Amino acid sequence: MIAPATIVRRAAPVLACIGLLTAWQLASLGLKNDSFPTALEAVRAIPDILGDKESLINILASLRRMAIGFGIAVLVSIPLGLLMGRSRAVASFFNPLLMVIYPVPKAALMPIIMLWLGVGEATKILVIFLGVSLPVIYHSFEGAKAVEEKMLWSGAAMGLSPWQRLVRIVLPAALPEILTGCRTGLVLALITMITSEMIARQSGAGNILFNALDMGQYDTVYAMIIIVGAMGICLDAIFERVRAGLVRWSEPQFDMPLSFS
Amino acid sequence: MKVVPSKSSEWMRPVASQKPAFAIIEIDRVSQVFQTSARKDHLALSDISLTIEEGAFVSILGPSGCGKSTLLYIVGGFVSPTSGAAKMKGRAIMGPGPDRGPVFQEFALFPWKTVLGNVMYGPRQQGVRATEAEAQSRALIEMVGLKGYENFYPKELSGGMKQRVALARTLAYHPEVLLMDEPFGALDAHTRTRLQNDLLNIWERDRKTVLFVTHSVDEAVFLSDKVVMMSKSPGRIREVIDIDLPRPRLRNELLLDPRYQKYVVDIERMFDESDAAGAPS
Repeated sequence: MIAPATIVRRAAPVLACIGLLTAWQLASLGLKNDSFPTALEAVRAIPDILGDKESLINILASLRRMAIGFGIAVLVSIPLGLLMGRSRAVASFFNPLLMVIYPVPKAALMPIIMLWLGVGEATKILVIFLGVSLPVIYHSFEGAKAVEEKMLWSGAAMGLSPWQRLVRIVLPAALPEILTGCRTGLVLALITMITSEMIARQSGAGNILFNALDMGQYDTVYAMIIIVGAMGICLDAIFERVRAGLVRWSEPQFDMPLSFS
Repeated sequence: MKVVPSKSSEWMRPVASQKPAFAIIEIDRVSQVFQTSARKDHLALSDISLTIEEGAFVSILGPSGCGKSTLLYIVGGFVSPTSGAAKMKGRAIMGPGPDRGPVFQEFALFPWKTVLGNVMYGPRQQGVRATEAEAQSRALIEMVGLKGYENFYPKELSGGMKQRVALARTLAYHPEVLLMDEPFGALDAHTRTRLQNDLLNIWERDRKTVLFVTHSVDEAVFLSDKVVMMSKSPGRIREVIDIDLPRPRLRNELLLDPRYQKYVVDIERMFDESDAAGAPS
């Protein structure tokens, strides 16, 4: 027997999706614009895309470069952020640099990067790397800064060296905050991945979308938007599972459906 | 007014001990200056000299802001004094080490580790084998009264339980000196009393040297062999008082003991006098 509250909680996200699609359908029917297909037409185009080998290869290629860019960014940003959080000198060195890079849309750097590295994988991975790095560095920095001094003292009294304290106390203590940064970074990886493929059009999900737009296949365009959105939701849900598992020790119990997982 | 003769130089533990008192910690003319703003310096500790004998339970008692915690941090090696030096067994204290185990008011447990994980952390760091460290830790957890909570995370425990874990975690790596920084300050009165009793029971087993910072007069008198009274701005030692009460101490007997009551009343009066002389607290 499932409690009514549970049913409401489980059904709510589904209802929200149905509501959005209905609004879309009605808007499209009302506007009668050729470039604005109905929700049904767009949804019907999804199996065609996913059934096409070429498209699938493109989407997988997108995911692959996204994973590489995200992976490298996380591996570089977490140690950097932690060091900045615990060393004033490191923070004073990197903070101005990051402040300069922060407001620049990473896609705006693409033309320059393309001049250096061409239109291939390296360019796109670098742009994804830049997009993901900043939130991960920032959250690692904040997380490391907030680590209780007495916790580090306790570790020092047990004989942990400064490096051991960084890896074995600061890192786990800051993990909840770091993973919040990674979650933001994951969504940004998806966004920069699509954007980079729109600019350096060669392959990938962004390329399919823009090719369809050039050819006036609007149902495909909208179907791709749905697919990209669904990818985002799935990746986020998977990440949230992993995150929740890693930091169960810090989670407060909450009652609001704040995620889809 | 002098009620309790202070004979700190030839001080010995009230309960007869075979070996002569050995100075385990020596604090020699320590001063500490903090820069509170660009132009202003705050003298937190002024010319503190103090000797702590091995196996003694010594409390540092004083109003908040008198630098008593800072003094403890200097002994711990967490803070270096602006001038003067602290020594442990004749060697200058250069930094933290497992010979001096801190217990903080904030508990400072590792929240990602279970109770067992927290207690095992020190021994594992010291190179004790996992099975051995676990057996010792389980015994310690039982000793502090937390049997059955081995796999709980700190967030699932009450304040009193967290402090029990912190005590067990520190005892686990066998420090020669326990440095307790207002350990019961964040607890409610009832929990506080229970932890004081339990701490004394645990202490009776091996009589480790304890340096205990507190602002509670009755806590200091109840626990200690010696109470170091400090005054504030700048932090100075005002008086060192030997607490000549029998051990083991039982709370219900001690509270009725006129000698205990006299210590508490006298010390409180001394604080009132220093308040009347200086600024109101």
